[in-house]
This record gives sequence, C-alpha cells and structure tokens, in this order.
Amino acid sequence: MANEMDCHGRHYLRHFKRVALYISTTALVGCASLLSLSVPSTAQSVAVSPPAGRLLASNCFQCHSISGKTSGFDSIKGKSSNEIYNDLRDFKAGKEGNGLMARHAMGYNDAQMRLIADYLAALR
Amino acid sequence: MERRIFLRNASAFVTSLMLSSCGGSDNSGGTQAVTLPTTPTPGPTPQPTASGVAKARVIVVGGGMAGATVAKYLRLWGDSIEVTLIDKAQVYTSNILSSLVLTGQRSIASLEYSYDTLRSTYGINFVHDEVVAIDPAATEVTLASGARLKADRIVLAPGIDFDAVPGLTDSGVMPHAWKAGPQTTILAQQLAAMPSGGTVVLTIPPAPYRCPPGPYERACLVADWLRLNRPASKILILDANPQIIVEKDNFESAFTRLYAGIVEYHSSVAIDSVDQASKTLSTSGGMIRGDVINLIPRQKAPLLVSKTGLANDATGRFASVNVLDYSSTAASTIHVIGDSSATTQPKAGHIANQEAKICADAIIRSLGGLAPDPAPITTSACFSTITMTQASWLHAMYEYNASAKAMQLIPASFAASAGWSAGDYKDMNTWFGSLMADTFA
Repeated sequence: MANEMDCHGRHYLRHFKRVALYISTTALVGCASLLSLSVPSTAQSVAVSPPAGRLLASNCFQCHSISGKTSGFDSIKGKSSNEIYNDLRDFKAGKEGNGLMARHAMGYNDAQMRLIADYLAALR
Repeated sequence: MERRIFLRNASAFVTSLMLSSCGGSDNSGGTQAVTLPTTPTPGPTPQPTASGVAKARVIVVGGGMAGATVAKYLRLWGDSIEVTLIDKAQVYTSNILSSLVLTGQRSIASLEYSYDTLRSTYGINFVHDEVVAIDPAATEVTLASGARLKADRIVLAPGIDFDAVPGLTDSGVMPHAWKAGPQTTILAQQLAAMPSGGTVVLTIPPAPYRCPPGPYERACLVADWLRLNRPASKILILDANPQIIVEKDNFESAFTRLYAGIVEYHSSVAIDSVDQASKTLSTSGGMIRGDVINLIPRQKAPLLVSKTGLANDATGRFASVNVLDYSSTAASTIHVIGDSSATTQPKAGHIANQEAKICADAIIRSLGGLAPDPAPITTSACFSTITMTQASWLHAMYEYNASAKAMQLIPASFAASAGWSAGDYKDMNTWFGSLMADTFA
C-alpha cells in the first residue's frame, strides 16, 4: 500500500524538479497579467467573449498557484503551450504515475488540453 | 459497568440492524411558497460612477468557499463590476481540515481566513450583516439592520443548515462540529475529557450532505487518536445511508482492518430522537448511549433560500439551478452556488470553488449580452486523513451534458488512491494551501 503511494509520490517529485526553475521567474508577474485579461469595460459594453480556455484553465488554479504568492504544487506559468500540452498528455497516458494529476488529465479531451495549454502559456 | 451494558446493547443492536431498512428520516420542514416572476426581470439601470462609467452590481450572500471565490473572480475577470459580499462573520473558518482540531493537530486560528486581500486587492465591498429577506423581482436584499441593497444579480452562497433533532435543545451536548468554529472546539474538549474505555458515537446523515467523505474521514482520525491516547475506547459509526457512500475501499479497509476493535460501523441507522440527560440516541436500530456523541444532522439549504422560494428541488431542501450559470430555476437573476444548490455534484468546498468560477464567468458574459460557456467542467478533489499522519485522495470531474441539462461524472477522471500514505498527507496540506489561496488570496 505504502509502496504504491511512494511510487506515485516519486513520480510527482520528479515533475516538481522539472518545473521548479519556473517558479522563481514567474513569481512577480502573475496577478497583474490576470487583471489585464479582464474583459468588459462597462456593464453594457459591446459583447466581447472571454479568452478561450480561461474558464477551463481555472480548474488548474485550485491546486497550482498562478499568482506566485503562495506555494502550491508545481507552477504552471511561464511554460510554452506545447510544453503544457505535452505534460498533460504524459499525465493522461500514465507516464507520470497513477496519481491524482493523472486522473485529472484523464478528464480532459485533446481539444480541451490544447485550450488550457494555450491560455496558460499566454499568461504573463 | 455502564460500558458493559452498552456493549451488550451494541451486539443486540447489530442484529436488529439487519432488519432495518434505509430510513431516510424525512422531516418535511415546509418550504414557504413565494410567488416568483416567471419571466426574467430586467436589472436596474447601472449607476454612473465618478468616472462616468456605468458599473453593474452584484451582491454575494455568504463568504465561504463558494461566495469568496465568486466575488474574487467577478472582480478578477470583470473589473467593471461592483461586488458587495455580505456575511456576518469577520473571518472565514475553514471546514476543510477542521477534524484535525479534534486530535489537537490544528487550532481553529490556523483555519481562519481573513477577507483583507479580497477587500484590498480585488476591491470587493464587505458588509458584515445578515440578509433576512430577498426580493427576486426587485433583485434586492434586506439586511438585519433594515438596510436594503439592490443589484443586477444576486449570488447566494449560504452553505447548509441542519434539521432539528427531536430532544436536542442544546447543540453543545451532542455537537455536530460540521461548521468549523465553536462546535468544533466543544467536540474537541469533550473528546479530551473522555476517559479511556469510553465510547464515541458519530452519526452520518442521509445524503446529500456537506463533504461526502468527511464523516468517514473524521471517524478514522478519531479512531487513531483513541488508539494512541484513550486505550480500550471505541468509536461507533451510525450511518443513515445503506453503505459507505464514497471511497468505500479505503474506509472499509480502515474500519475493518486498521481499526479492528476500535471502529464499529453500522449502516442504515436513522436517528429518531435523543435524550440529552442520559446521552442516549433513539435510533431505528435501538437505543445507543455514548460518552461523546458527534451528531451530524440531516442537511438542507438555509432558511433564506427556502423562504425566498428557491428550495425547489424534488426534496424541497435545496435550490434547483441551471448549471451553465447557476441561476435559480425559480428566479433568473438569483444564482445559487455551493452546498445550497441541488446538482449532481458533491457538496464540498473544492467543487464549490469551481462552481463559483462558472457562475462568475456566466454573469460577466450575461452582463455583456453573451450566453454562458456551453461546456463547463468542474473538479472535485480532496484528501482524507485515514490516520493522524497518512491520507488518501479522491478525484472526480464533471462535464455538462446538454441533453440531461446536468453536470455528469467523467468516468475516466473518477478514482481514489489505492490506500493511504504519508506522501498524500503532505500533498493534502499543499492542496489545502493552494485551494484556500485560490479562494481568499
């Protein structure tokens, strides 16, 4: 029982290290970029659709800080769209263990993973 | 001596349980019918601000996981919207992780979250008062102070309330501790004062209730604490449901193996009434006495929801909503998110946070004349403390099913950990910190 969990944990840690480098570079820019993405300038403004992928990607924010203000699981900011997409595909394929994040990736289809990756990559 | 009598009763109890059915003890706490407009009411004309830019106004009732998140994301994603959050409390006390207060591993203070960042960084207005009435047609709330506030939309996130339990007039005698705060402290004190060889009784209400794994998790945690601190004590779980309703493999394994001789689990037990003086429960399976009784009553949306005519699901206990924008099916400018709403999703803080984002996004779109996102996805993730140092995890996602007009479980996403570990306990704390930051920071 414990071994399985340790195994899962090890996969996770490997992933942490891979992305740890990004944390320091993105820590200061998170909040401002999000605020700049807000849409309507007035309540009755001409309809402007919110950025594609924003609502989907907000599922990520529950466990991954995008503001850089708090420690969470590995940062998902500052990566290219392909990098995020490939990470999600790896998790979905079970290449990163059979943990919670693998199950999370399994909940998305390919188009949704692309939308999430594009949105997160555009965060500055 | 008393305990021996109790244990004899307990074995008779098991036999009688075999015969009892799943008694969803129904308390028809009559919902007051209120005539509501059947067509959407146009919102008031937004008032010009100093800069001449018209602002839409949204009132959020309740500053818990759902309410704080919707307020934050309305401001984050819809900067021009004026958001006012109304809650009596000056700080939020997290229910998540609050069972750790019972074992002395957490303090209530460590679970308190200030609204300061929501106020200062996001510009949310706070009113520390109680909403006593809502006029859906006028999109207006009345406060206990007598003041009235009007808005374009109202979002209700008032959490849960409890059914009255016959005979229970002092909630301190058999605390539910299912809203973190004074009740949690009382239960912790009762456990600390219990001698070795004592019996703890934990009752689980019929689903749906807040945090499905929560009572099972609490039972495990208390069992571990008893094992270490009060030798020869027992915890008796009286579950109103026909079986463990979630993460069954892990909890069953913990109850029958890890805590064999400490945990006694009984399903399909309805609590009919209580006798406070003798600390006895009258149940569908017989009379049960405990030294400490954690009685978690059946739950419903608070009175504010029902008296506004919004508790209109099949049971009359929770609010039916359109899960694309969480608008009430009885009043289109009133939204109900979190534990008060009736959806196919669990009632829990993590998923309430995501329901809130869908609601915020839909309100922003709606104010701009746009339809809500047609394909929302929500996530329910959590960790359960199986011991004082090890945890399990549970994960599920839901997607919109257009023909059913409901959120539907995505089967591939649904799983629990195979067992529990110290690593997952560590992840639990990371998850908690991150979720609370997404909600309050």
